[in-house]
Amino acid sequence: MATRTICAVATPPGRGGVGVIRLSGPDAAAIGAAVAGPLPPPREARFRRFRNAAGEHLDEGLCLYFPGPKSFTGEDVVELQGHGGPVVMDRLLQALIAEGALLAEPGEFSERAFLNGRMDLTRAEAIADLIEAGSEAAARAAMRSLEGAFADTVHDLVAALTALRVHLESSIDFSDEPLEGLALNDLSRQIEAIRQQIAATQAAARQGQQLREGLTVVIAGRPNAGKSSLLNALAGRDAAIVTAMAGTTRDVLDTHLHLDGLPLRVLDTAGLRESSDVIEREGVRRAQAAMAEADRILLVVDDGAAEQSDDDLMAELPAGVPVTRVLNKIDLSGRHPGLLAEEPNPCLAVSALTGEGMDALRESLRRTAGVDEGEARFIARRRHLLALEQAAAALDEAAEAARTGLGEELIAESLRVAQDELGRITGAVTTEDLLGEIFSTFCIGK
Amino acid sequence: MHPDRSYEVIVVGGGHAGTEAAYAAARMGARTLLLTQSIDTIGQMSCNPAIGGIGKGHLVREIDAMGGVMARAIDRAGIQFRILNQRKGPAVRATRAQADRALYRQAVRDILDEVPNLILFQDTVQDLVVESDTVRGVVTGTGLVLHAEAVVLTVGTFLGGRIHIGEHNRSGGRAGDAPSIALAERLRELPLRVGRLKTGTPPRIDAASIDYSRLDAQPGDEPLPYFSRWSRGDEHPEQVACHITHTNAKTHEIIRGALHRSPMYSGEIEGTGPRYCPSIEDKVVRFADRNAHQIFLEPEGLKAREVYPNGISTSLPFDTQVALVRSIAGLENAEITRPGYAIEYDYLDPRDLAPTLESLHLPGLLLAGQINGTTGYEEAAAQGLLAGINAVARIRGLASWTPARHEAYLGVLVDDLTTRGTSEPYRMFTSRAEYRLQLREDNADRRLLPVAREYGLIADADWADFERYCEAIEREQTRLERTWLRPQDLGEDSGEALLGQPLRREQNLMALLRRPEMEYDRLMQIPAAGPGVDDPRVREQLVIEARYAGYLKRQDDQVARQARHEQTSLPVDMDYGEVAGLSSEVREKLSHHRPATLGQAARIPGMTPAAVSLLLVHLKRDEPRKRA
Ligand SMILES: Cc1cc2nc3c(=O)[nH]c(=O)nc-3n(C[C@H](O)[C@H](O)[C@H](O)COP(=O)(O)OP(=O)(O)OC[C@H]3O[C@@H](n4cnc5c(N)ncnc54)[C@H](O)[C@@H]3O)c2cc1C
Ligand SMILES: Nc1nc2c(ncn2[C@@H]2O[C@H](COP(=O)(O)OP(=O)(O)OP(=O)(O)O)[C@@H](O)[C@H]2O)c(=O)[nH]1
Ligand SMILES: [Mg+2]
Repeated sequence: MATRTICAVATPPGRGGVGVIRLSGPDAAAIGAAVAGPLPPPREARFRRFRNAAGEHLDEGLCLYFPGPKSFTGEDVVELQGHGGPVVMDRLLQALIAEGALLAEPGEFSERAFLNGRMDLTRAEAIADLIEAGSEAAARAAMRSLEGAFADTVHDLVAALTALRVHLESSIDFSDEPLEGLALNDLSRQIEAIRQQIAATQAAARQGQQLREGLTVVIAGRPNAGKSSLLNALAGRDAAIVTAMAGTTRDVLDTHLHLDGLPLRVLDTAGLRESSDVIEREGVRRAQAAMAEADRILLVVDDGAAEQSDDDLMAELPAGVPVTRVLNKIDLSGRHPGLLAEEPNPCLAVSALTGEGMDALRESLRRTAGVDEGEARFIARRRHLLALEQAAAALDEAAEAARTGLGEELIAESLRVAQDELGRITGAVTTEDLLGEIFSTFCIGK
Repeated sequence: MHPDRSYEVIVVGGGHAGTEAAYAAARMGARTLLLTQSIDTIGQMSCNPAIGGIGKGHLVREIDAMGGVMARAIDRAGIQFRILNQRKGPAVRATRAQADRALYRQAVRDILDEVPNLILFQDTVQDLVVESDTVRGVVTGTGLVLHAEAVVLTVGTFLGGRIHIGEHNRSGGRAGDAPSIALAERLRELPLRVGRLKTGTPPRIDAASIDYSRLDAQPGDEPLPYFSRWSRGDEHPEQVACHITHTNAKTHEIIRGALHRSPMYSGEIEGTGPRYCPSIEDKVVRFADRNAHQIFLEPEGLKAREVYPNGISTSLPFDTQVALVRSIAGLENAEITRPGYAIEYDYLDPRDLAPTLESLHLPGLLLAGQINGTTGYEEAAAQGLLAGINAVARIRGLASWTPARHEAYLGVLVDDLTTRGTSEPYRMFTSRAEYRLQLREDNADRRLLPVAREYGLIADADWADFERYCEAIEREQTRLERTWLRPQDLGEDSGEALLGQPLRREQNLMALLRRPEMEYDRLMQIPAAGPGVDDPRVREQLVIEARYAGYLKRQDDQVARQARHEQTSLPVDMDYGEVAGLSSEVREKLSHHRPATLGQAARIPGMTPAAVSLLLVHLKRDEPRKRA
């Protein structure tokens, strides 16, 4: 049986829709009650106001309680169905975490359900797929969350903390060597400096969260498939040049648009093909770079052009980026408009020219955007903020230990914890790394 | 030894690993044969005449708690004892002793002779008896074929050993001993991964040629520390001081002038040396801005005339060695008695071992000591002990002993080696232990003695004594938790002074003891709190645990969280190709390492949490099939 209680967004916060947060584990009932008030009788929905420990009203909605083992995971489960968007859901998660829940790993709910025998054994493969896909999406989102100024400040932070630990650990492990020691008030000062740095990084990270500009969708496909036309249809204006000539679009065209309030950044790219033209080749290279960075690819296929095998084209796409396939020009092929395959990798039939099927495409984009953004990116950001918070707490503990004159080994312990937390953002700094730093910084050894 | 007799355990090598392995196996009741090149070098220290130090002292205490040899031997042979990190906290305090080499060898030999079913025999092992991929014995240089149910190989730096001094190099196991060439060649034919490492040693100096008058003396500590919990403090021989001197600009100039003749820099040596034990030429090159390096002049023994200059390990040519030694203060007229040298040797990749130290490819073969890529007497001895126990456990069908990372430094050591391998000679540091606060010298007995008792390694009387000790700790702990002090219980004036701070509300004594500046003695002076216990060891345990309480609790929680993974074992013959969803990179790593548990798998570099989940799901899916 698992010892930890985990929480996660079960259905992503669509704009204006209902978002569900699930808690599972031995403390689910207690944590749920702390945020939602008294739990309803098992398996009955009740209206509740959700509050954090400070009593702030966060959201309101339905609360359900499923005692184990008759629950989705086989453990005690509490479900909170809120109305708020991503920001509110994030604050709800924060409140649960503050009460002792941990953020679930990708696929962890299903994993528990499976391990507790609540899921058919034949579904092992499906669970494996889920875990794999989830962790890939999480890794990508984490990378994306770690971009720009935020990444720089975190890396500076890790470097400063490592440098301090190098001093402290070497003064412990090599105290019989004549090393330049670190005076205790020096130590305190440096701990304080790093603590300040974390505060600044937290501020930057929170700001990054607000500046989030929405998901990036890249339109890609063979030349003349109708990519630029599709962009224009989505944007509702002539943003891109459209001609009957294959190879019209050369550079990446960057547009911002809103689908019912969902902000999207849409990139139109050059058609993918081998070419002797230097400019076109560069265009294709840029298209590929854009795809690699995308949250989702809209793969446009000319439905009429008895398509050269789709597989070739699929093989040119970067692994791990979700794809929406768009069969275009159905006004010529005669196919019915609408959804041909379901999310998360949907396929739709449209005509960019007549607008048939475009509503279904918009609808599908909104739904997948919820998944892409809801799970991955906003969880990634939350994980990063959480790690920063824990690191800050560990540094406070270190500062307190230094102030009250507890031993260096206790200060070192808190700094190790802080480093482990930051490691969740940037990748772990192992003992080997640390020893390597020590041996290249100091002349050690007899 | 009778050639027709069969043994249960054969231990090859009479170094630090071999002696512990043989002693533990024999004391567990196995008919044990210790086969070594020379009976006279049993317990020989190849290099620096010292035992213990930070991280290493911790290992020695653990060996002692498991009923091993090393702590008792050094207590009989140590000629200068110190506690390192005295001013730091208890977790990182460590004992270190200079040894009299001859006394140490003698002490090890005397301790081995206590066990009736341990047979010593002098011969060189040249081959293993392998039957259907299982090791069943050894073949010696004199042509004897000796059978056993388990073989523990502890041949140290002897495999394919090559000694370098300047431009000269020759085969050798350590200065004065023959290398193991035949065995090394044979091992390379078996399905074991072999690598090359190197280490070095300084020249030795005639004590009579040193001018001590200008050097600082460093005496041992008072009161005299000791290693073994069974020692009474009167086993130590006469104590002496070490002396300290330094290299200088002239020394460094001499070294720079001869670098082109160093086998390290001419490319003659391929093996990787330890970064924390660099040769003096390495230090001069890598830290060019330093104009002095410290040297400890350590006596090799009470009667020995030789001195070990700790800090100038070198493989420079002999004439340079003479010049560099004589450039050092106090050593102007020094006579070198033995040249320094570097030695390259084969080691076997420890990732091919289970956490029991048994080979994954050749069951019946256990490996311990420097052969696994470690360096140091303590690291070797600790592994030997573990391998000895597990050799017998295997034969008798007992549970094997694989301490976890939070239970012992020995657990950290073996886990690091078997999961991550090593690219340089591996030495223990306290920073390697994430549970450093619980892995202390002072509680090694509380952590491990019960395990040792299970394996029959603790005598009844010693066990009874230990139980009394534990009971005393528990009793006093309960009393401290249950005794409450109210503000009005403090005497008029003395109470607050004793507490240091005012008492605002009722508190139990344990909470008061947790205050950073509080001392047990002082607390017990408050009439309502006293009188407390007298045994200083009991007091020490209470104070340390009170002091560390919050931190230890957090580490316990962490251990509990990981327990499930640590207890989920992975079959050795698991087909990782069948696990759905694993990347090919992770698959290859797992097939290569063959981790014993899910916890170990998670620690392999490059493993992701998702990969661990996938393994869990796979195991669960396979469960019903296995049961059927
Ligand atoms: C030059 C040198 C410098 C070193 N420097 C340091 C240092 O500075 N600090 C430090 O901590 N450690 C140092 N060490 C390492 C330390 O000596 C070893 O780590 C430790 O002794 C290893 O113990 P062991 O039991 O594995 O092997 P060893 O102590 O080497 O014992 C091996 C035993 O196996 C026997 N043997 C070998 N081959 C055979 C065979 N085929 N058949 C039968 N018996 C055999 C040998 O006779 C010997 O008794 C150094 C070692 C050397 C050689
Ligand atoms: N009938 C019909 N024609 C379309 C449709 N979509 C695009 N076209 C036409 O197909 C041609 C190519 O359209 P573009 O939008 O430029 O195609 P593209 O994929 O951007 O082409 P490149 O930029 O050259 O790679 C133009 O003549 C469009 O008018 C559609 O849905 N129906
Ligand atoms: Mg175009």
